[in-house]
Amino acid sequence: MRRLTSLLLLAATLALTAPAVAQVRAPDGAPNPTASSVNEEMLFKQDPTIHGRISIPNATAANLIQPQGREWRQFREAWLPWIGALAVLGMLGALAAFYFTRGRIRLEHSEESGKKILRFNSFERFSHWMTASCFIVLSLSGLNYIFGKRLLMPLIGPEAFATLAQYAKYAHIYLAWPFMLGVLFMLVLWIKDNIPGRIDWIWLKQGGGLLGDAHPSAGRFNAGQKMIFWMVVGFGFAMGATGLMMIFPFAVTDINGMQVMQVIHSLIGVVFIAGILAHIYIGSLGMEGAYDAMGSGEVDLAWAKVHHDLWVKEQQAKTASGPQLGRGQVPAE
Amino acid sequence: MARMKFLCDADRCIECNACVTACKNEHEVPWGINRRRVITLNDGKPGERSVSMACMHCTDAPCAAVCPVNCFYTTADAVVLHSKDLCIGCGYCFYACPFGAPQYPRVGNFGSRGKMDKCTYCSGGPEPDLSVAEYEKYGSNRLAEGKLPLCAEMCSTKSLLAGDGEMIAQIYKERVIKRGYGSGAWGWKTAYRETIAI
Amino acid sequence: MLTKRRSGVAGRSNHQALAAGLTAPTLDRRGFLRKSGLAAGGLAALGTVRLGAVRPAQAAGASADPAQAVIRKNVCTHCSVGCTVTAEVVNGVWVGQEPSWASPINRGAHCAKGAAIRELVHSDRRLRYPMKVVNGEWQRISWDQALTEITDKLQAIRTKNGADSVYWLGSAKFTNEAAYLFRKFAAYWGTNNVDHQARICHSTTVAGVANTWGYGAQTNSYNDIRNAKTMIILGGNPAEAHPISMQHVLSGKEINRANMIVIDPRFTRTAAHATEYVRIRSGTDIPVIWGILWHIFQNGWEDKDFIAQRVYAMDDVRKEVAKWTPDEVERVSGVPGEQLKRVAELFAKEKPATLIWCMGATQHTVGTANVRALCILCLATGNVGKPGTGANIFRGHTNVQGATDLGLDVTTLPLYYGLVEGGWKHWARVWEVEYAWLQSRFDEVPASAGRKARSRKENMETPGLTSTRWFDAVSLPADQVDQRTPLKAMMVFGHGGNTVTRMPEAVKGMAELDLLVVADPHPTTFAAMDARRDNTYLLPICTSLEMDGSRTASNRSLQWGEQIVKPAFESKTDYEVIYRMASRLGFADSLFKNIKVVDGIPVAEDLLREINRGGWSTGYCGQSPERLKAHMKNQHKFDLVTLRAPKDDPEVGGDYYGLPWPCWGKPEIRHPGTHILYNTALHVKEGGGTFRARFGTERNGQTLLAEESFSKGSDLTDGYPEFTFGVFRKLGWDKDLTADELATIQRIGGNTPDAVSWATDLSGGIQRVCLDHGVIPFGNGKARANAWNLPDPVPVHREPIYSPRPDLVAKYPTRPDERQFRMPNVGFSVQKAAIDRGIAKQFPIILSSGRLVEYEGGGEETRSNPWLAELQQDMFVEVNTQDAAERGIKDGQFVWVYGPENTAKTKVKALVTDRVARGVAWMPFHFSGWYQGKDMRGFYPKGADPVVLGESVNTVTTYGFDPVTGMQETKVTLCQISAA
Repeated sequence: MRRLTSLLLLAATLALTAPAVAQVRAPDGAPNPTASSVNEEMLFKQDPTIHGRISIPNATAANLIQPQGREWRQFREAWLPWIGALAVLGMLGALAAFYFTRGRIRLEHSEESGKKILRFNSFERFSHWMTASCFIVLSLSGLNYIFGKRLLMPLIGPEAFATLAQYAKYAHIYLAWPFMLGVLFMLVLWIKDNIPGRIDWIWLKQGGGLLGDAHPSAGRFNAGQKMIFWMVVGFGFAMGATGLMMIFPFAVTDINGMQVMQVIHSLIGVVFIAGILAHIYIGSLGMEGAYDAMGSGEVDLAWAKVHHDLWVKEQQAKTASGPQLGRGQVPAE
Repeated sequence: MARMKFLCDADRCIECNACVTACKNEHEVPWGINRRRVITLNDGKPGERSVSMACMHCTDAPCAAVCPVNCFYTTADAVVLHSKDLCIGCGYCFYACPFGAPQYPRVGNFGSRGKMDKCTYCSGGPEPDLSVAEYEKYGSNRLAEGKLPLCAEMCSTKSLLAGDGEMIAQIYKERVIKRGYGSGAWGWKTAYRETIAI
Repeated sequence: MLTKRRSGVAGRSNHQALAAGLTAPTLDRRGFLRKSGLAAGGLAALGTVRLGAVRPAQAAGASADPAQAVIRKNVCTHCSVGCTVTAEVVNGVWVGQEPSWASPINRGAHCAKGAAIRELVHSDRRLRYPMKVVNGEWQRISWDQALTEITDKLQAIRTKNGADSVYWLGSAKFTNEAAYLFRKFAAYWGTNNVDHQARICHSTTVAGVANTWGYGAQTNSYNDIRNAKTMIILGGNPAEAHPISMQHVLSGKEINRANMIVIDPRFTRTAAHATEYVRIRSGTDIPVIWGILWHIFQNGWEDKDFIAQRVYAMDDVRKEVAKWTPDEVERVSGVPGEQLKRVAELFAKEKPATLIWCMGATQHTVGTANVRALCILCLATGNVGKPGTGANIFRGHTNVQGATDLGLDVTTLPLYYGLVEGGWKHWARVWEVEYAWLQSRFDEVPASAGRKARSRKENMETPGLTSTRWFDAVSLPADQVDQRTPLKAMMVFGHGGNTVTRMPEAVKGMAELDLLVVADPHPTTFAAMDARRDNTYLLPICTSLEMDGSRTASNRSLQWGEQIVKPAFESKTDYEVIYRMASRLGFADSLFKNIKVVDGIPVAEDLLREINRGGWSTGYCGQSPERLKAHMKNQHKFDLVTLRAPKDDPEVGGDYYGLPWPCWGKPEIRHPGTHILYNTALHVKEGGGTFRARFGTERNGQTLLAEESFSKGSDLTDGYPEFTFGVFRKLGWDKDLTADELATIQRIGGNTPDAVSWATDLSGGIQRVCLDHGVIPFGNGKARANAWNLPDPVPVHREPIYSPRPDLVAKYPTRPDERQFRMPNVGFSVQKAAIDRGIAKQFPIILSSGRLVEYEGGGEETRSNPWLAELQQDMFVEVNTQDAAERGIKDGQFVWVYGPENTAKTKVKALVTDRVARGVAWMPFHFSGWYQGKDMRGFYPKGADPVVLGESVNTVTTYGFDPVTGMQETKVTLCQISAA
């Protein structure tokens, strides 16, 4: 990671260093342009990039030598595959270990089992699934940039792989837009229910019920879900921002900036994928009854009372005091 | 053993841009794509030098290393070429390249960068030598005809040298010894991890 | 497109190791294909993925037979270096360009323009067919209609206003043959109002140099600069204006470890390679040169023997130079004395030394004086007439030297025969036309405003209007224009409309014309100024690459260019258009009496043969088309430095490349041409010579003939006058003439055969016998340090009209108002008014203009070439860093540049740089198509607008004309700049 840090540092310092001017004169003080010519070593001492003036309007073409690509290459080719593999496989391993040691978290039956309560309305589910499906394609096509040539190409051959990679690139670029929109929707829909509170601290201390026997109290979203929410929002925006800078090269930043963007994008990307893997696990295989929330939108009341007791109380108070909401209607929050 | 390189003798370069238009002429390169360009350093001040730059056909080329589809290959003459059929226009080679060589035609909407285009050392691409398909994608193939890149052949002051690395280094060395000065082989350290010792 | 490539298998191999493999484990093409699973046939499978390929091959198509690829050689049209262009042509389409390795001038090299020249011919932005303006709209018309209407209108104007009311503006891009034909045409029309671009680039050089030592041309050559140990480049930026010359300059600098001194107000791309850069204030060349000479005389570094033998009146210069002490030089020019002392010592002592100059020296109100001072510096140090020395004047266009030689000039006939009876009669004999008929074609000028009337003969011998002031000749009150009527029609062949100063006044003049005809490959600025609603025609002329003919490079070498492809679209050659006009005007038979016309197109070779028959005065007599073609075929045989072919070669043995003029005698005697003028170390038959005895034999008791100096092997071992039959008889050399030669001389001389001279003897006998005696036909004279016939016989400093130093104007005023070239030159009044109005305070920045490497001249042609246009997309002004900071101007933003006349202003981008000193701004002169902030693109004929448009610098340039040639002042005016 040392190289990466130096790369980031470099990008930061780039903005600060103003190129010093080399004014060499002949021994007797007269201007002697031949004797005082600039050279590579001297210019590299002044600035990590050698740049000058060019008559074409493309300002980026005025860079003569920008060796920072070497560090970026080191990151991308030497570090990133390991980091990515570690993150993704590590998480898969951890989840597998959890599954085999603790097994599936079962639904606890009570007298209210079988009764349903609306947890996510259709727009919420639409937003979730739009984002989720985009994410899956984005992550696969993203991983393809790193692992495709290492894993897939030997299997299917370069020609087919290039075609696939081309479509993967288009998918990555075009699906980024609905993904970013989905993140935005989810932020608006759920931010209110994801404000961290004291209750979350308690929930966390009890490990979400894994430590000890009692289920800690939780509102609409427990602390774990809030973490997922903030991860999706935070990483989503970060991925969007860094991605946009690469889709529109030089619009905001220079080449070194784009290298940094790519580093951030890929690092967050693999961590994001790992996080979402955990989310997928807990929302499907890991916990009985959880999937229904995003499946039909209605969950078992018993499950709800166990996992989101405060939210259920709140919902029931609403229904008691007001008109019953029909299916699909947005709760008047 | 030929190991093709470019060497721009900045003490000869006068920023006449002949290399740029010779390239356009030879390969019919469209507006907006500049396989070669000339940059003036320290503009307007004593010590000013201009350097002509294109793909340097690096040893251990970074573009080839970072390419997610491995579309690059190095020829027997050590020229770094790529296949436009494999290229997906991701832009990674541009991030990695120390010389800003890769160029991308804008082919449409946001993000749909076209196939990368760059200096081929006037030696075409993976298609058969001197075929129509090769010309259409990569321009002409002078090397196959026993000629050198036109930019260097047409250089107004014989500043831009192309050819076997050892031969052009020798020419440059002799020049420097004869005239007593030389600002060095620009980009060689970065591209070939070597300089010309004089 | 690809067809040409297959033939390359048999082509030259430039590097032995090409086919060899490489040690590192790499992949060859076949291996890569195998590994990647790609094969040529399999590519179609990827069809769905769009390729970002380069533009598909075009034109010739893939079916053409490669065996048909033809190589044709022509000469680049973009400057006077004379680079050979090697074209590959398939099925009549120019498909590729190869380096011209064989040419000793460019040795394969080109600049941006030369390397992009193929597009010039291909360009789809060329004018495709004749057009005329009807109520302000462009309409396509046929050639017949165009020429019929134009010639009818010309006849009507001539009848009503006289022959002088039509201005015939020719071009430095003409071939020699076209230039000659155009001048001859103007003579037949009956006017001396015929000019071309030399007026605005080096007219002052021609006048100044010719008045010093005989001929107005570069004394040595680009290649010969390789011999120099010291070179001063003053007022020139060859790195941008003549890039291929820099191959020779920099090689010379390296091989000889030569001193390369650049004297310029601007730190140019050339200055970047100098060993010493001297920054001066624009317009102070004479103080700087006198400042250098002050040190030379002070220290006795001058070449005393050379001065005694070959220079007249150097003492007059000493008196003037004595005034220019280091303090005064620094006060006026800003250059420290110590620096000039160093320059002076190098130039005088590290010999051979050469002086190179360009338009920075010539385009001034003191242009001729500047040039004279430069020549005097060469003379004082003995740096003329030897290898590595000389006045290496870099001229502008391809054939500006040739067009000047062939008389596209208001003061001369072809080859510098004066506008005197003898000159006219000489050409009348060559043309086989009655002198009296020619005379009858000219106007009688009535007396006006106190001036005497002029007879036809007197008018025939009166210099015409200069092209720098054509619009003044339209707009000034009639009594101020000294001809029958002011100008009514402009016939513009190959000349931009934005190249002369004071554009707002040019636009006004344009609007007042009765007829405007632009004959050019492009519409030019004339077409885009929205000044005219009617009576305006565009005639598409092909580029000179589509024409046969010779061109004279700056070093006086003639090169034969062959037509690369047939004229594109409906364009025609200059020859054909002139022929068709002459036919309609009724004098074609006489004009083309000895010139074959095939299918309506005059044959270029025949035109050159006619030039040979009459071109004795300048030695244009020996360069037959056959010899020139042999040179192009045998280019590789000529030496890089001496430009000479081995003596034993059967075709070009002993010749200098391009038979640089003077090439004496008839082609049959095979004079090799003259590589270095005035070189006494060589026999005349080997290209040696002496200074020309052009100005008499004696003045004020001092001889004007050389003393104890003569060219090698001369029978006469002292100075001698020019040769006439009379001199021959005295020497007894008349016996050496053949009977035929004697008969010709007798026929020409009539009653006074003694007056028949080396320049008028059509038999060539006098020249032949001179060569046999080892003497040069034009005599052996002294060069003149004092040219008594010029306004300032010894150059004196004069401040520019718009001087940034009003304090110096009183001491160094410009010349008093006087009439020149049929018009008043009121420079003095303008200078005085500027001082009175405090212009220097309101406009505190010196504005100079110059050239970019990507463009040429007015720039229409090069700005229409996308390969070039992409490299310079915006008109700009170079502003010094401090000036910009004070005005809040950032690099790349739009600014207004205001000029001191006509409330003129231009909107251009700022290029903030230290290339220019504080208080100095610089603009390139190639742009047009914007006018005072307005985009004029819509006024071009559709599709013929250049890719890049921009403000013309000449919108803000100002008054000021050299008294000797009418040269405009483009290098010093004043301006103000503010952010837009």
